[in-house]
Amino acid sequence: MMDKPTTTLKAIESTPPLADLDRICDMQEGRMAGKIFWDSEIYEQELEKIFARCWLFVAHESQIPEPGDYVATTLGEDEVLVVRQKDRSIKVLINACPHRGNKVCFAEAGNARGFICNYHGWAFGPDGALRGMHESGVYEQSGFDKSRQGLREARVDSYKGLVFATFAADAPSLADYLGPMTWYLDVILDNDEGGTEFIGGCIRSTYECNWKIAAENFVGDILHAGWTHDSAAQAMLGGSVTKVSELPESYQVNWNGHGYEFARDLVGNAAVLGESAINKYLHLHSPKAAERLGEFRARMLGAVSSFTVFPNFSFLPGQNTVRVWQPRGPNKIELYTWVIVNRNAPAEVKEKWRRGAMMTFSPTGVFEMDDGENWEYCTKTSRGKVTRYQDLYVGLGMNSRLSDTELPGNVFRGQLNEANARAYYQRWKDLLQARTWAEVPDRNGKLD
Amino acid sequence: MNKVLLCQRDELAPGSLKKVPNAEVGDICVYNLDGRYYATADLCTHATASLAEGDLDDDLITCPVHWGQFHVPTGRAVTFPCERHLRTYRVIVTDREVYADVAAEAEEALADADPAGAGSPV
Amino acid sequence: MNTLELVTLEEERAVQAFLLREARLLDEDRWDDWLLMVSERIHYWMPGIENRRREDARGGFNAEHMALFDDGYRELQRRVARFKQPSAWAEDPPTRNVHLISNIEVYAGENPGEYRAFSCFVNVRSRGLDEQYQIAGRREDVLCREGDGLKLLSRRILIPNATLPCKNINTFL
Repeated sequence: MMDKPTTTLKAIESTPPLADLDRICDMQEGRMAGKIFWDSEIYEQELEKIFARCWLFVAHESQIPEPGDYVATTLGEDEVLVVRQKDRSIKVLINACPHRGNKVCFAEAGNARGFICNYHGWAFGPDGALRGMHESGVYEQSGFDKSRQGLREARVDSYKGLVFATFAADAPSLADYLGPMTWYLDVILDNDEGGTEFIGGCIRSTYECNWKIAAENFVGDILHAGWTHDSAAQAMLGGSVTKVSELPESYQVNWNGHGYEFARDLVGNAAVLGESAINKYLHLHSPKAAERLGEFRARMLGAVSSFTVFPNFSFLPGQNTVRVWQPRGPNKIELYTWVIVNRNAPAEVKEKWRRGAMMTFSPTGVFEMDDGENWEYCTKTSRGKVTRYQDLYVGLGMNSRLSDTELPGNVFRGQLNEANARAYYQRWKDLLQARTWAEVPDRNGKLD
Repeated sequence: MNKVLLCQRDELAPGSLKKVPNAEVGDICVYNLDGRYYATADLCTHATASLAEGDLDDDLITCPVHWGQFHVPTGRAVTFPCERHLRTYRVIVTDREVYADVAAEAEEALADADPAGAGSPV
Repeated sequence: MNTLELVTLEEERAVQAFLLREARLLDEDRWDDWLLMVSERIHYWMPGIENRRREDARGGFNAEHMALFDDGYRELQRRVARFKQPSAWAEDPPTRNVHLISNIEVYAGENPGEYRAFSCFVNVRSRGLDEQYQIAGRREDVLCREGDGLKLLSRRILIPNATLPCKNINTFL
């Protein structure tokens, strides 16, 4: 059934950009308005110009190893199924029946022969092709063409186990979309010959915050950690969070709105799990990682660091939490979290990471508690009509760009910096101003 | 007797099945269940679907469309949404070939307490 | 399913009193006193709930899945330690809790001096001026005799939610 084409995805209409984007976001001046976190018009623009256009993370390949395995997720607010095919390729299908639009799969994960709509019994193969209908005779009398009524497909590509999808036919390839940031992604994805896997499924929670405040936190805000997370560090380590300003070497790096901020202290993030077995694993593994990645990146494995792939896919090396900030309105998100580990890591080390991520960065995690409160109120204060138009400062680290470095991407000195945040919001603005992918400007090499 | 050639014996490995087009009685599905050959109508009794595209699990054939199931030897409909039993054909095996007598039901179907088609809800 | 063996009224009353006192201590932010009710051998488990189809043999939760709590005594101590920090910003002003405990059933445990207790809870939390979160669920506990009293030896907490309807669980359930 693989050869049966499903119906082509209809492109949505491109609407004009918002008129007041300069007022909302001016990264040359290092300022933005709180309205960026609280506005339904902005949100609708984001669904169209960001979530319907960008490459979005949908799954790790290890979640769906066998043909028929699937997970359900969303691209923005569009519900999709990520399905392993008989030929081992992966399809991303809109989880809505082409007849009346009902959801065709209500489970979050599983293995299925296909998907049957509960409403009129339209039955789809794992490839999305419509295979048949209840009362099929009636359709045959109407000259019905099954081949035109499959589940709609998004474009799919993957990078070292991470599967991404986009609805945009004109989007650049995933490789071009990620650009040189893959050099940094490899710190997590390719530090061992066995690659990585997700363990323990997905934990979901709900925040009353704007999706960008969370994504931006991971793109380059280590600044908050020493203050926000003091209580968690005291609880886990009996002392304060590492003083980042005293780390000998740290950077912020970005490209097309993606950002990685990192030190080279090997275990700074991992240490807060309070599990000596994990620290030991990282110390023992670092020389092996160096053979694949070189000495520089081998010191980043569990270091004080965080990463966001624009727009809403983030992770923390060391804590090994991987997450998507799913937009659910201008001031609501659903947080999907997973734990990533090296496939070849010892079972007891994987188990320590499963529990460690729960203990630190999960809805019951001692670190995440204080993040959630911050992000919700960064969002809610902009309910105030006047407050909404006041400037928010995003100016730290202006002119900290490094030109004499061989590190890939746009590289900035020092982790305590808002360079990545500025690049992130600049990319956000560029996408909101562009009506097509061709109109999105290339800022790389020009950011400061 | 109305003998129709279904396949060569060695063409169908145990646990496999295939569709044999037949304009007269409708397409036939032939099965090799652990060395024994069976034949039924290929068209699912629930909706338009070729059972030969379905999955064979032991002696049950699962329709590829709505995943209803039939018991292959008797044609009995066993799983929702299949309710009307499947027409079976008596199989004749020679040295090399497998035939169906399309004028006769399988012996298993005749012996079944609830004969195929009879008394099943429509 | 093991047969459930009733215990004496006195024992049942002691277990009920234990569960209700525990809830009161949590509502009064007396975390250290609460820890004293917990055995150092505790397994405190609240699995994440998966929304899977009925025929899926994995079911709605399992030990390998990510959990919301999968704690031993050390983890519970760490959580308590965070609550008590002056820098626990999201606890100041404090979260106000009500733990309602009901549907208590008490049976004999597997070992002498142990009890198996089933109960339901509704936890209502309020923060700030207007935040309110409600989580309801079912618990299965094992209580044991340690020293001169009962202690919580294991707890399994099941909530019906596959997506937590709030940002965190900053209490014990």
